[in-house]
Amino acid sequence: MSSQPVSVKGSGGAGGAPLRMLWPFALALAVAAFMHFVVGPNFNGTVVQVLLFAGINITLAVSLTMVNGFTGQFSIGHAGFMAVGGYVAGGLVYYLSARFFDSPQIAFHGGILSAGADYRPDPDHPLPLLSRGDLIMIGSCLAGGLVAAGAGYVVGLPTLRLRGDYLAIVTLGFGEIVRVIFQGTGPQVLFTKAQEMRDTPLHQLAWKLGGAQGFNFIPIYATLFWVFLLASITVAAALRLKYSSPGRAMISIREDEVAAQAMGVNVTRYKVRAFVLASFFAGLAGALAALSIGQMNASAYGFIKSFDFIIMIVLGGMGSISGAVLAATVLTILPEALRQFDSYRMIAYALLLIIIMILRPQGLFGIREVWELGPVRRLLARAGRGGSAA
Amino acid sequence: MSLLSITDLSISFGGLKAVSGFNLELAQGRLQGLIGPNGAGKTTCFNLLTGVYAPTSGTIRLAGRTLNGLRPHQIAAAGLARTFQNIRLFPELTVLDNVRIGCHLRTRSTMAGALLRSPFHVREERAMVERCRGLLEVLNLADRADEQARNLPYGDQRRLEIARALATQPKVLLLDEPAAGMNTQEKKELRGLIRQILRDFGLTILLIEHDMGLVMDICEFITVLDHGVTISAGTPAHVQNDPKVVEAYLGAPAGAEEVA
Ligand SMILES: Nc1ncnc2c1ncn2[C@@H]1O[C@H](COP(=O)(O)OP(=O)(O)OP(=O)(O)O)[C@@H](O)[C@H]1O
Ligand SMILES: [Mg+2]
Repeated sequence: MSSQPVSVKGSGGAGGAPLRMLWPFALALAVAAFMHFVVGPNFNGTVVQVLLFAGINITLAVSLTMVNGFTGQFSIGHAGFMAVGGYVAGGLVYYLSARFFDSPQIAFHGGILSAGADYRPDPDHPLPLLSRGDLIMIGSCLAGGLVAAGAGYVVGLPTLRLRGDYLAIVTLGFGEIVRVIFQGTGPQVLFTKAQEMRDTPLHQLAWKLGGAQGFNFIPIYATLFWVFLLASITVAAALRLKYSSPGRAMISIREDEVAAQAMGVNVTRYKVRAFVLASFFAGLAGALAALSIGQMNASAYGFIKSFDFIIMIVLGGMGSISGAVLAATVLTILPEALRQFDSYRMIAYALLLIIIMILRPQGLFGIREVWELGPVRRLLARAGRGGSAA
Repeated sequence: MSLLSITDLSISFGGLKAVSGFNLELAQGRLQGLIGPNGAGKTTCFNLLTGVYAPTSGTIRLAGRTLNGLRPHQIAAAGLARTFQNIRLFPELTVLDNVRIGCHLRTRSTMAGALLRSPFHVREERAMVERCRGLLEVLNLADRADEQARNLPYGDQRRLEIARALATQPKVLLLDEPAAGMNTQEKKELRGLIRQILRDFGLTILLIEHDMGLVMDICEFITVLDHGVTISAGTPAHVQNDPKVVEAYLGAPAGAEEVA
């Protein structure tokens, strides 16, 4: 009979549409503001630094969930996309700041949202909420994300057509190629050489990313605000994806690729889409990582770094977004908390992983979310509401 | 004019001619059977039709359109859906999600629409749930919608495969041993169910089945394969009395015994 699309009826409570479309973004802003204005000022710099990394790692783990968790492909090059985003954003912020702000120093020119947790308002020099420097920073981060997404497309399209574990091999190679490329870039033009900086055309500066010395003195713009804004948006996007037709198409590939195809899922398309989207978020996270530590060094973004994120999602449960968030948080904070027992730290860490892998080989939550687990669901039901997500 | 038209379809795996010179004409609204002993090449035929394997030779036409060379998802979109002999559900997902994935290829909203929860996307998802619940109702799975597919009993899994295939809105449905592993009562219900979906969904069905009682009862026309070759084709009465069929099944000289 009909090979028509799923019939879509006319009305359907379109009244709340804008609210329904945008509330996660409002929530993300609220979370970010809370972290920035309430949490940040109450902790010392070390804690804030750990929280920054927790937010960045949440973004990376959740985005990797889209590839390894949803489509069941095995990428071990996530850190490579992070590096791409970090170098692009770091380079742009550094060199563009030199152009736009006619100061001899590459300094921070952000507003309140980009001011570190130790910032105390100064009545003589009030900071705006957002400044021109922030706009440069946002643009640079988006550029970093987009270039990473483009790299994801170039890597993914030929690879993901093939069945099997080619992606693992190719992404492993990609990470190494990225490292070699950035280590082969020219020396960084330091801010002490203002004249040279001004005279060199931008496209040449783009290649002066410090090589093996690394790229340093990147202005520190990443704050709890930006990091948790990104993390929240990533989580919201992943949840919305998971509970929609395109996301289910991705998950069907992991469940049974042959059956997915037979049911009409264009498996190559959805693998590539998941991969590109994940690369985009990884690029953004890499950008914020660069802007929080103030330097990039390609050697820090090899496959060992990629394995950190794989461990997070394996622990959280492949395909569980809340699991990835939890695992990323714990695995960022725990090593720091155990720092005073430094010599035992790696042992404790490894033991924890082994114990969890023995007790729950499917990870903490498997493919499910916290609120979908039996006990939690019963609790929610008793509270009088079914837990339906996003 | 037939809806599904298969001409001279052949495939070899190495030296093995799994299917050779297979022909079949299936008219709109009909229910035909495809039978044969183990290893006869029945499932391989389905795999050829759905693009899992590329045929060595032959053409497949659905409603006048040649399907050769299309990828499996394109064939599904063209209107050919199947179930699997060795059940291939999405095991970790719920029954409802399994069926919803069948609906996916008929959806129109984009990834951006899904990420932004655009009004169109939301309406489409709602319509999808409604349609899936309807399908589960038809296949007696309505009260299992939220269970994980892998926790279902065997018979339910087989019916879920049918529900999922129907969700793709096929023109032709290929059923690969839908009664395998079912008890007598379930088989009886399945018989009624196949007749019902044939009628209610305006379907056309090609059925592989080892249960001769079922096949002989519901099929109007039966093709018999043995070692990849079509050895007989005709009404149930005709193939049942064909000495070649008897021989193929019993491995005995023609006319030795009746087909059970
Ligand atoms: N991918 C493959 N590679 C090699 N040989 C194959 C392949 N698929 C099927 N065959 C062979 O082709 C022949 C036909 O197999 P097929 O599965 O089509 O049989 P069938 O008629 O469905 O049997 P059954 O009733 O047991 O399901 C068998 O000999 C099988 O071993
Ligand atoms: Mg078979």
